[in-house]
Amino acid sequence: MAEDFLVATDLHKSFHDFKAVNGVSFSIAKGEIFGLLGPNGAGKTTTIRMLSTVLEADSGEIIIGGHSVRKKAESVRALIGVCPQELALYEDLSAMENLIFFGRMDGLNTRDARAQAEEYLKLMGLQDRAKGRVAKFSGGMKRRINLAIALMGNPQLVFMDEPTVGIDPQSRNRIYETIEGLQSKGMTILYTTHYMEEADRLCDRIAIMDGGKIIAMDTPRALKAQLGDSEKATLEDVFLNLTGRSLRD
Amino acid sequence: MWLIALKDLRIFVKDRAALFFFIIFPFMFILLFYFLNLGAATDERLTYYLVTSEAEGGLSHQIINLMETKNESQLKPGEPVFVVESNFDEAYQKVKDGQLSGFIAFPADFTERMTTGSGAQLEVVVDAGAGYDRAALNGIAAAIASQVGAEQIVIKASVSLLVEGGIIPPDEESINQATRQILAEITAEQSQTGGEPSFIGFDIERVGDIESGNPADYVIPGYLVMFVFFAAAVTAEAIVRERQNNTLERLLASSVNKSTILGGVYTGTAVRGLIQILIFWVAGILFFKVDLGQSPLAVIILSILMVIMSSAFAVMLATLVRTQRSAGSLARVTALILAPLGGCWWPLFILPEWLQTVAKISPHAWANTGFNKLMLFGADLGAVVPEMLALVVFTVIFGAIAIWRFRTSAV
Repeated sequence: MAEDFLVATDLHKSFHDFKAVNGVSFSIAKGEIFGLLGPNGAGKTTTIRMLSTVLEADSGEIIIGGHSVRKKAESVRALIGVCPQELALYEDLSAMENLIFFGRMDGLNTRDARAQAEEYLKLMGLQDRAKGRVAKFSGGMKRRINLAIALMGNPQLVFMDEPTVGIDPQSRNRIYETIEGLQSKGMTILYTTHYMEEADRLCDRIAIMDGGKIIAMDTPRALKAQLGDSEKATLEDVFLNLTGRSLRD
Repeated sequence: MWLIALKDLRIFVKDRAALFFFIIFPFMFILLFYFLNLGAATDERLTYYLVTSEAEGGLSHQIINLMETKNESQLKPGEPVFVVESNFDEAYQKVKDGQLSGFIAFPADFTERMTTGSGAQLEVVVDAGAGYDRAALNGIAAAIASQVGAEQIVIKASVSLLVEGGIIPPDEESINQATRQILAEITAEQSQTGGEPSFIGFDIERVGDIESGNPADYVIPGYLVMFVFFAAAVTAEAIVRERQNNTLERLLASSVNKSTILGGVYTGTAVRGLIQILIFWVAGILFFKVDLGQSPLAVIILSILMVIMSSAFAVMLATLVRTQRSAGSLARVTALILAPLGGCWWPLFILPEWLQTVAKISPHAWANTGFNKLMLFGADLGAVVPEMLALVVFTVIFGAIAIWRFRTSAV
C-alpha cells in the first residue's frame, strides 16, 4: 500500500449560513487518481480550493506531502498544480507565454520554464500553436493549455477540476492519455468530473459528495457492486442512486 | 513581483486599443486645448497699478518707485508694466470699470507698522473674473511681504545689538528711529545701485510668463494628471478581470504569496504610468516647448508621486468592487469628477476660493497646484513640498485600504 500523499481530516467551510463543506475526510495515496464526484453545489470545488491553499478551512486539517496547509502553505504550493474548472489563462498572451509565466511563478528559471513549456505543449499536441494568441484558440485547445499550465513545475499532486468540460472527443481523449501518462510517472491526481464514464476509466478510487459531505467512497468496481452486479451497473447508476434524481441548479 | 509586472506590461503592449487610449488619445486632447489656449493668448502687455495711501517719504513710496516701470522698451517679453497711482479710489474704479485687471495697495500706516514691528497688510484688489491676474498679484504681494518680513528680522536683530552694545538708548523712540534709518539706508542703497530689490525682481519676471507664456505649461501638466490617474483607475478593471478570469486564483495557488501578487500588480500599473509621464514630458518639451521651470527635478518628482498615488488608487479600487463593469464605471466616474475639480481642465487659481478649498479633497488639486507653482510661478522644490507630502498621504491611505482589502477578501 502506497503512503498517503494527501490527508484531509474533518474539513468544514461555511459561507455565511451556508455549509459548503461539512466534515469531509479522505486521503489520497501517492500515485493514485482520486475522483471527487457530486452534483452541482455538492462542495467539490470548495474542497479543492481549500486543498490548494486558496481558501482557508473553518476547521479541520489538511496535510499534503507531510506539510500542513494551514501552517506551511508555501511548502504545499511548491508540491501542487491546479487545473481550475474555469479557464484561467491570459488570453492576450501566447500559449508559450502563458506556460512560461506560470512556470516562473512556480519558481522555475526562464530556461527550465521554456523547456517544460515546450514539453507540455508537445504533450498536449499544441507545439505548432505555441506562439498563437490564446484568445484565438478553440475551446478544446484552451482546455489543454489550462491543463498544461497545471503541470508546469512538475508538481507531485495535481488538482483537476472538471478539466474536460465542454470539449470535443479528440481533445478529451488527449487529456485522458495525458492523465494516464502522468500517473504512470508517479503523479498523484485529484480529479472531479460530471462524466461518470470518465471517472470510471481514470480513477482508482472515488468519493461521492452531496450536501457538503462524502456519502460514499471506494473503488469504482466496489461502488458498482453495491448495486448488485458490478459488470452491468454503471457508475452513473451508483451516482443517481446515492444522490437522487431531483434537479440541482 | 517583476514577473507579474512584466506580464501586465506585455499584455498592455499587445493591446493596441489600450495603447491608443493611454498615449495617443491624451495627446489629441492636449493638441486641441493647446491650440485653443494659444488662440486665446494675447501679446498685449499687462499693466498693474501700485497704489499707496501713505504720505510722501514713506517706505511704500520707495518700494513702488523701485518697482515702477521707467522704460517699457527695456522690458523683457512677458514682463508686465507697473504704474504708480496715488489715488486708491481711482484705481478701484478702473478695476470696477474693467479698465484695469488689478492692483496692489500699501496702507497709509505702512512705514509706521514696519518700524514698530506690528506687521503691515498689503491689499490686492482684482477683477473677480481675472483669475490669472489675481494669482499674479497675490504672488507679488506675497513676495513683497516675505522679503520685507525677512529684512525686518535682520533690522530687528541689528537694532537689538545696537541697544545691547549701548550705542542707542533702549527707549521706544530711539529704537524706532534706528529702525527707520536702517530701512531708509537699505532702500536708498538699492536705488543708487540701480539694482532691483530682490523681493520684486523674482516675481515680476514669473508673473509675465503667466499671460504671454506657453499654454502647454499648464495644459500638459493638467492633462498629464488627468490621464495618468484615468489610465491607472481604468487598470482597476483589468485587475478585476484577472480575478474573474481565475488567473488571480491560479496565481494564489502557485508559489507566490499575496503580497508579491499585490506588489506585482501595483508595479505593473506604476511602470505603465511612468512610461506615460516620460512620453508626456519628452513630447511636451520637444513638440510643445514646455518649460519645466526653475526646478525640473521637482517636476519629475511630482510626476512620479502622481503615478505612485494613481497606481495605489487603482489597486484600491480593484479590491473594493466585485465586477469588471463596476470597476470600469467607478474608475471613469471618479476620474471625470476629480479632473475638473482638481484643476486639470483649467488652472485651480482662477476658481473661487471656496472651490479651491473643496478641490483639496482630490489628489489632482495637489498635483496641479504643485505643477502650476513650478511651471507658472517659478517655484523651487522646497515650495512644493506640501503638495508632494499630500500625494504621499493619499498614496498611504489608498495603499493601506488596498492591502487590507486584498488580505481579508476572498478571491
